[in-house]
Amino acid sequence: MALSVWSRRLPSLLQRVTPVVTTINTTTTSGSNQQSSVPSTSPQEKYKPYSPFQETSSRAEWAVARLDDLLNWGRKGSLWPLTFGLACCAVEMMQCAAARYDIDRLGIVFRASPRQADVLIVAGTLTNKMAPALRKVYDQVSASRWVISMGSCANGGGYYHYSYSVVRGCDRIVPVDLYVPGCPPTAEALLYALLQLQRKVKNMKKIQMWYRK
Amino acid sequence: MAFFGLDRVSRFFNLIKENGGFRQSLYKLYRQNDLKSGTLVGTDKLGNKYYENNEYFLGRNRWVIYSPSLGTDFDGSAVSPAWFGWLHYKTDIPPTQKEHVQYSYIDTTPSPNPTGTNKAYIPYTTGKPKIQAWVPPTRS
Repeated sequence: MALSVWSRRLPSLLQRVTPVVTTINTTTTSGSNQQSSVPSTSPQEKYKPYSPFQETSSRAEWAVARLDDLLNWGRKGSLWPLTFGLACCAVEMMQCAAARYDIDRLGIVFRASPRQADVLIVAGTLTNKMAPALRKVYDQVSASRWVISMGSCANGGGYYHYSYSVVRGCDRIVPVDLYVPGCPPTAEALLYALLQLQRKVKNMKKIQMWYRK
Repeated sequence: MAFFGLDRVSRFFNLIKENGGFRQSLYKLYRQNDLKSGTLVGTDKLGNKYYENNEYFLGRNRWVIYSPSLGTDFDGSAVSPAWFGWLHYKTDIPPTQKEHVQYSYIDTTPSPNPTGTNKAYIPYTTGKPKIQAWVPPTRS
């Protein structure tokens, strides 16, 4: 849900920065699907720069974009999820943090307090009874927080979709950034989701949005 | 020398040499978190390069170095289906030796996962929403 909000804002942003619009349109039409089917050497050899914010029209915008890069770099290197396990998915979540997959090396450390956490991994079936508690915990997590919905039960009820006591998807309670399919998803799948979350954090435009306002 | 383990010193310098000097090695450490030397087995359509060195232990002896066009935003979904089997030990025959079988019902133009970019798939419902957002009552 948060992802959809984030991408819907993009066109309005592009309209404000008028010179950028033309360049972006050309790149998206030429480089989306044809690139993989028609092998051309020149765009492949070109190194994609680290920062996703390359189109800056003024010096101030450039400075703000670099500040955003710095902020996002710090954030994506220290995503702290909350130890919040609801069902069998939690076992996979623990496995993800254990020696083999070791998310510690990505700076992802489980924290026991919502005050210190910024990622909420909804790992397992969300029951009606647990839903207010989940919402409360979500509200306690400090701002710029992300939610990963892990497993079919959290995604949309899953096996318990028709149960009288289960919430049909945790996105009815909290806004979700990433959905991990699986029943339960493997630890690798969760690790992949965390990497995708890092990518999303890298694309965040917090300071740039503030500047454009 | 090998008995005392001193050959590791020369091996270390050889590794740096094979990776194209000190600066290049540092850069590769930054991008790949690892320094390896191996033979280039092949390159896929996206520009990813696949390497092999059987001196490494099984599980570390085949690896991919992603295309420069992906920058630091690479992930496992950029590996092409033709090379997936070889990279994950499903087969020992790389697609350079035996042509990858193309089925008409499988997407022939695979692309890396667009999650987190503006090309990401976002579903939307066309039906009436089953739930309504709670509007908290306000005291007048």
